Amino acid sequence: MTPQLDLRNVTKRFGGVAAVDGVTFSIAKGEILGVIGPNGAGKTTLLNCISGVYRLDGGDIRWHGVSIAGLARLGVGRTFQIVKPFGSMTVRENVAVGALFGSDSERPPLRAAFDRADSVLELVGLRMKADLPVSALTIPDRKRLEVARAVATRPKLLLLDEVMAGLNNVEIDDALEMVRAVHETGVTVVLIEHVMRVIVGVCERVIVLDLGRTLADGQPDVVLRDERVIQAYLGERYARRLRGG
Amino acid sequence: MTTSQRWQRILIVLGCAVIAYAVLAPLTSLDGAQALNLPLLTDKLWFRLATITAMFVVMATAWNIIGGLTGYAAFGNVAFFGIGAYTTGMLIAKAKWPFLLALPLAPVAAAIFAVLVGLPLLRLRGHYFAVASLGVGVAVGELVQNLDYRGEPIFGGASGLFMPIFAVPNRDLYFFYLMLGAAGVSIAVTWAVIRSRFGYGLIAIRENEEAAAVIGVNTTAYKVAAFALAAALTGLAGGIFAQWNVFIDQENSFPIAYNVEMILMALLGGTGTVFGPAAGAVVLQLLIQFLSGSLPITLDLPFVPEDAMPVLAQVVLGVLLALVVIFAPRGVIDFFGGRSRLTVAYLRRSLRETSI
Amino acid sequence: MAAEPLLHIKGLTAGFAAGPVLFGINVDIAQGELVALVGANGAGKSTLLGTLSGLVRASAGRIAFSGRDITNQRPEAIVMAGLAHVPQGRRLFDTMSVEKNLRLGAYARRDGNIDAELRNVLEYFPALKDKLNREARTLSGGEQQMVAIGRGLMARPKLLMVDELSLGLAPKIVDRLIDVVKEINTAGTALLLVEQDVLVALDVAQRAYVLENGRIVLAGAAADVKDDPNIRKAYLGL
Repeated sequence: MTPQLDLRNVTKRFGGVAAVDGVTFSIAKGEILGVIGPNGAGKTTLLNCISGVYRLDGGDIRWHGVSIAGLARLGVGRTFQIVKPFGSMTVRENVAVGALFGSDSERPPLRAAFDRADSVLELVGLRMKADLPVSALTIPDRKRLEVARAVATRPKLLLLDEVMAGLNNVEIDDALEMVRAVHETGVTVVLIEHVMRVIVGVCERVIVLDLGRTLADGQPDVVLRDERVIQAYLGERYARRLRGG
Repeated sequence: MTTSQRWQRILIVLGCAVIAYAVLAPLTSLDGAQALNLPLLTDKLWFRLATITAMFVVMATAWNIIGGLTGYAAFGNVAFFGIGAYTTGMLIAKAKWPFLLALPLAPVAAAIFAVLVGLPLLRLRGHYFAVASLGVGVAVGELVQNLDYRGEPIFGGASGLFMPIFAVPNRDLYFFYLMLGAAGVSIAVTWAVIRSRFGYGLIAIRENEEAAAVIGVNTTAYKVAAFALAAALTGLAGGIFAQWNVFIDQENSFPIAYNVEMILMALLGGTGTVFGPAAGAVVLQLLIQFLSGSLPITLDLPFVPEDAMPVLAQVVLGVLLALVVIFAPRGVIDFFGGRSRLTVAYLRRSLRETSI
Repeated sequence: MAAEPLLHIKGLTAGFAAGPVLFGINVDIAQGELVALVGANGAGKSTLLGTLSGLVRASAGRIAFSGRDITNQRPEAIVMAGLAHVPQGRRLFDTMSVEKNLRLGAYARRDGNIDAELRNVLEYFPALKDKLNREARTLSGGEQQMVAIGRGLMARPKLLMVDELSLGLAPKIVDRLIDVVKEINTAGTALLLVEQDVLVALDVAQRAYVLENGRIVLAGAAADVKDDPNIRKAYLGL
């Protein structure tokens, strides 16, 4: 079966330094994939390559078998680490704008966009707060809003960039429920994270990047025990905690 | 009823009264009305002031589309006014076109110019864009005045451009209604934009351009479209002005002061709203005319000589702009939305508060 | 506490134009102590640090530092009194070099031993030694956090407050930074750690405060706080 997204030898350089260096892996439709690695390992660069923000210096990215190198707007939604809500709009309007635009050629009328916004708000658990201004939302809720707006664009692939940063364990668990709910609607999800609770909690597969290259690729409980990953990224104390519980 | 709701009601009633007055009062100057012995509510001065006010309603409302909705504070929109004026002017004076045929080309020319200049200009953000657009605005005015072809100024040069007077009965009334019509079009266009997909896209660009781009808004196309729309409306006002005034030159078609005035009007009235800029235009225009001594009621300040009044007017406007931005950045709504911000404590706090 | 506390906060209420965020806060930190402040998002942790360092206005209550009242003093005066703030998200001077960033940390000092202080700070963060001339924004997240903490240390504070040290950093880097924090504490500087990662904070601190909706709901020895069943449920999800 053709994978949904196929990265082959993807390379992106910035002034002589390869931020992403020959990365190769595929994502099947409907997977939840985690991407971890030290800062500067190339995670966000990789994300930007996939969502078409950067042009590749080498390699190829195929979307359902068709090369998309450099094309933006074809069903990829993404969130930002530092949330970027539309401040003067209400929660519902924020999500409706996502539904109005979005990455396919569908241009729904205003009415339909707002209806879609409502159903997405229900999905992420913000239905009760739909009429509030963004300023009234807590940080975890703003992250939900960010995800909701991205989901409203009807993406086939959703890229979540460190969406769990700054949340405590209980807030993370709530957010994971939301990610699962979104995933169940058929969206492929890729999460970049530093919070292992997320990787262990929701990812079926995790890829570790280090210095622009893939260090490991497999199931979370296997990868997180890999000595090289512990060396490069987790550190002994953390690994002990993961193992010990 | 809350305070703000009460104020809203008052404003709506007031607004309707002003509009009704503006639309109906000119009719008293018609021969038919005079025959009925209706009181003459308007005179030459009235028509002049009213037409200029309507002109500013067009410009402020137009500016609001690029400045208020999209968040790109253009400081050189008077260029579009002048382009509109000179397009119509040249077609009438040099190519001998009839006025009503030349007028539609004014917004078209302004829009085309906006697209050409906007594509590079709108890549800039914030103050860079503001300054660059100001530069363009000034440059266009200078070019129009000074461009020569084989020794002869193309656009009439320093002596300006004269047009034949547009022969129509009740000329003052005619041009007032024409300008009022343009104002109506401006407001209607703003109304349509604000509730459309296009409008949401513009507001999204204003609030967070990166996020807007990532959810699929074609930010370049939208920004340029907003810029062109603002230009077209402003150009329309310029085109009407040209024939109305019969004479155009750099000074009356590209006055730099208009840039600040249209922005101040939109800010004072409330950017991002449909009627805000219009209200701001009416109020501010009255103030400007009052300070310049054009109104029947004049101000006699002790140490200020007569001819310094226009300069004083500019000073007052500058200070007013600063005050509005500090205390009422969302316009008059800020006062009527409950807590008044016009306090020293607010100023101190907003200067002191830092985001952590 | 036998000796007078280094930092004594009593009945502190503070917030913004929209309303108060902190209500009646009472906190004490002794000389050389390492104290953790944990709590959910929006609980007011960053606001508390901001109030201590003079960025947020206190509307009621008192903050005493080294016996002096520093409530609502100007931020520069507070730094000169010996209280340094390492803000959330690093907030470095992006286009300036690492060395400039560090030296600016000593801006308020008048004693002129800045070079010695710089050497001292680089002993804590040897990874920065060969990066002194690099622009701060070209550093990795972990290195930037080192510069941020180093900048705070350059003021030679008696109390260093660090806001969300672990934010967005790889676990290994967080471990290393926590080790440095311990070293700093051993050398005599008191520390107030505001942390989202409760385990990390409670493992290294001696005492802890828990902030919820702007109020202190629990205070005590770090080990006790960690074992508290409510805390385990609410923050560790256990």
